Amino acid sequence: MLRHNIVLFFRNIKKNQSSFLINTIGLSTGLACTLLIGLWVFDELRVDKFHKKDAQLYQVMQNFQFDDDIETEGRTPVPLGEALLAEMPEVEHAVAINDFFSWRSREGILSDGDNHIKAVGWHAGSDFFDVFSHKLLQGDKDEVLAGKNGIVLSQSLAKRVFGTQDNIIGKTLEWKHPSFEGAYQVTGVFENPPANATAQFDFLISMEILLEKDRWAKGWGSSYAETFLTLKKGTDVEQFNKKIEGFLNTKDNSDDNATLFVQQYSKKYLYGQYENGVPVGGRIAYVRLFSIIALFILLIACINFINLSTALASRKMKEIGIKKTVGANKGTLIVQFLGESMLMVVLSLVVAILFVVLFLPQFNEIAGKQLHLNMDFYQVLFIVGIVLLTGLVSGIYPAFYLSGFKTVTVLKGKFKTSLEEVWARKGLVIFQFALSIIFIIGLLVIDDQIKYTQTKNMGYDRDHIISFQWKGALYDQWNGLLEGKSNERFYVFMSELREVPGVVHATNMTGNILNEIYGQSGISWRGEDSDRDFLFQSPVVGYDFIETLGIALKEGRTFSGDYHDDYSKIILNEAAVKKMGLQDPVGQTIDMNGGSQIIGVVGDFHYGSLHNQVEPLIFRLDPHGRNIMVKIKAGTERATLERLEKFYQGFLAEYPFEFTFMDDDYQTLYESESRVAVLSKYFAGLAILISCLGLFGLATFNAERRRKEIGIRKVLGQSTAQVTMMLSGQFAKLVLVSVCVALPMAYILTNNWLSGFAYRIPLRAWYFLGAGLAALVVALLTVGSQAIQAANRNPVNALRDQ
Amino acid sequence: MLLQLKNIFKWVNSGGQRLFLLKDINLDVEEGEFISVMGPSGSGKSTLLNVIGMLDNFDEGEYEFLHESVHTLKEKHRANLYKEYIGFVFQSYHLLDELTVKENLEMPLLYKKFKGTERKAMVADMLDRFNIVGKKDLFPTQLSGGQQQLVGVARALIANPKLILADEPTGNLNSSQSEEIMELFKQLNSEGVTIIQVTHSEKNAAYGSRIINLLDGRMIK
Repeated sequence: MLRHNIVLFFRNIKKNQSSFLINTIGLSTGLACTLLIGLWVFDELRVDKFHKKDAQLYQVMQNFQFDDDIETEGRTPVPLGEALLAEMPEVEHAVAINDFFSWRSREGILSDGDNHIKAVGWHAGSDFFDVFSHKLLQGDKDEVLAGKNGIVLSQSLAKRVFGTQDNIIGKTLEWKHPSFEGAYQVTGVFENPPANATAQFDFLISMEILLEKDRWAKGWGSSYAETFLTLKKGTDVEQFNKKIEGFLNTKDNSDDNATLFVQQYSKKYLYGQYENGVPVGGRIAYVRLFSIIALFILLIACINFINLSTALASRKMKEIGIKKTVGANKGTLIVQFLGESMLMVVLSLVVAILFVVLFLPQFNEIAGKQLHLNMDFYQVLFIVGIVLLTGLVSGIYPAFYLSGFKTVTVLKGKFKTSLEEVWARKGLVIFQFALSIIFIIGLLVIDDQIKYTQTKNMGYDRDHIISFQWKGALYDQWNGLLEGKSNERFYVFMSELREVPGVVHATNMTGNILNEIYGQSGISWRGEDSDRDFLFQSPVVGYDFIETLGIALKEGRTFSGDYHDDYSKIILNEAAVKKMGLQDPVGQTIDMNGGSQIIGVVGDFHYGSLHNQVEPLIFRLDPHGRNIMVKIKAGTERATLERLEKFYQGFLAEYPFEFTFMDDDYQTLYESESRVAVLSKYFAGLAILISCLGLFGLATFNAERRRKEIGIRKVLGQSTAQVTMMLSGQFAKLVLVSVCVALPMAYILTNNWLSGFAYRIPLRAWYFLGAGLAALVVALLTVGSQAIQAANRNPVNALRDQ
Repeated sequence: MLLQLKNIFKWVNSGGQRLFLLKDINLDVEEGEFISVMGPSGSGKSTLLNVIGMLDNFDEGEYEFLHESVHTLKEKHRANLYKEYIGFVFQSYHLLDELTVKENLEMPLLYKKFKGTERKAMVADMLDRFNIVGKKDLFPTQLSGGQQQLVGVARALIANPKLILADEPTGNLNSSQSEEIMELFKQLNSEGVTIIQVTHSEKNAAYGSRIINLLDGRMIK
């Protein structure tokens, strides 16, 4: 019977090639989209899940309570982990990690003789390998970080440094880093962190080094570490969170509004956004969005299948009638038809897999991933699941519908389409088009908002600005300047930098104005303690910062060496002036870091991305920032960059000159949005394509079914144009209804998305009208050709064979 | 007794009126009979045949087939009943165009759970008996009408039914083809198969052992 049905299936395909083609194209593109997105989603869901103790592995997070906001931070005091381990019986292991090298450059140079390798290292406590599951290939997990001078290398770093990972234990390496220079002994080698780990590091050295070299690191008052715990099995996390909430207050911590909670480590990747001190989402929103898009595209393809197979039921009627008279019952027919749709899906899957293999490289590029179709257990499971689901969704209705025909009626050929069935088919078409229109509107809005972020006047000029880092030694009040060390070389560098031909302005700062501004609280501007509960953004910048970025100076002056400005001078933005309610701010002194004098006011400018409001901001001065920004004279970029490279190497021969354009850095702030924009372009296109294919199929069928009617109409004197209008008109009506359904939905969805931006485009009418019109035009083009063809046929032919 | 119809009524409601398709039909059919049903178009011949074949329901009356009360049976049992005992022959042959002669013959056996080897033997036997071995791999469209109907009869016979229901089996055939089919029916009947055929032709009706005349859904003597 199976063989029989398969033979019948393939011979039927041969007979109905056009509907087969429509179904294969639709289903295979739908499946390909779903597979690609599925790969991506699974990869996202598995990030950081490889740790053996994943379910017990938590990060301690810190909430800072302000009057109008709660800030959530992953950084905590260094001693916290050990204290929790000692005082909380629930804690199994704890480790403190510093992955940012105490606010300084993450990168340094590891040297074995003449072999110099750039590498990223972390400070880690000795329990690191108890908490995390990075596999140690050599060395003992309790020993590798126990000593102060040990260094544990990744497999690939070991190979880069020594050319081998064997017999390297005990060898000595030079670590050249602005703050942590020294010789370290190799104590172990660990397996490279997998690609789907957020933690990517080349080597680990002991936390002790950090504590020794940075005297501020040990204290309870500063947050120099990320603290990770494994909790004992069966621990009630909610209870535990309550227990540790006020833990910091029991210690010598000046910040009495800081509280603690733990978050499962592997959840941080997808739920990394916090509101009011609790995780509220993050990347998970995109995971959900794309899962939904994939399902909808697949659904659109399934609808094609359903519509075509029910519309073409007349062709199946005879088969059903005969089979029933020779003894097939409803059940066997249902099984047969379901089997046919499964087979159809499997055939489409083969094409879909071809598509996936073909487009995976491009998709990886857009999505910023390294996905592979390697057919491991999960992928096979996923594919089988999707095939079954697609086969069922697209097959179940036609199967019941077709097998339910009354034998006598179908054999007599007196088969009539019921009204509900026509409505159901219309409803499905409306659904398809409504989805497509929503996709198009989403695409238009996202695209425009991205454009807006590119072109909006931000209040500063990021063109022709490059950023790079001073990787040499640099001391500040915290790490040695007070002990008499000198930054003379750096000062010379900065002042000579300004003289390099082609350099218009040069400045430096700590952190990054785009995404790494250190907040400052505890400012009193009226002398009242209640003022201290507000958070001000307060970037620490060097001289010429305001000039380099072209920020408008409204009052007073900028920082300048000529006035011997120091840390006690500040510049406010207008929002800060407004927040403080100051009149004639220039010259006033506020209680910040023991008294700071306002020397200038700048206009509000959008630091960071447009997701965020311009908040009150206070520029502080510290000419020891190692992030340097240079404004280059327009038109001389190439020559100036060459000169800058030479100049840089003149000071720091051992470091390569690595720079980025500020404009590029700015783009990366909208990285996920840009990705969504590109992907949504493809998906919207595919959704429309598949919907139109379905419409094309229906139009063909419709013209065929109404052949006699068309013939009669033409004999009675209707013109070709009138017949064409009549045939296309009914589909135009469907698309118009879809527009009406789609518009309010799209409005809600896009408005919701835009609300994530503090500065956003208004929703203009043309997005909606344009998308509706586009859908209508495409649909009319699709059905129009069929309609014209049908209307042009000689009516005699249609009437003769009745 | 093979089957018995008692006071069978069948109607449709059309514009508030009850339109009778079958009216008070009483019919006994013994095994081995060859009955011809005659009557003008629309007199209910095909409806009667469909009712007997259990492809169509009736609204009133009783129907016993091999001592089973068809009217009380569930759909599934009814299907099993006709699947086992009844073969159908249609005016327009109703062969599946996508299947070859051999495959068309095999199809009824698939739904009766015969084994592959058994099916092959039965199909070969049938091809042999109807002298169409040479046509076994052709598709219906490659055959003449008479040959197609031959296949149609062969298909109806393949599972050894007790009863063959033929709805104007020669309606689409020329006279020599008609004769061939009717001779075949006669021969089958002599081998013990009960046949009920619907026909317009007096000549064909004469092949039967009994003629039933229908008019407006009623049997007339």
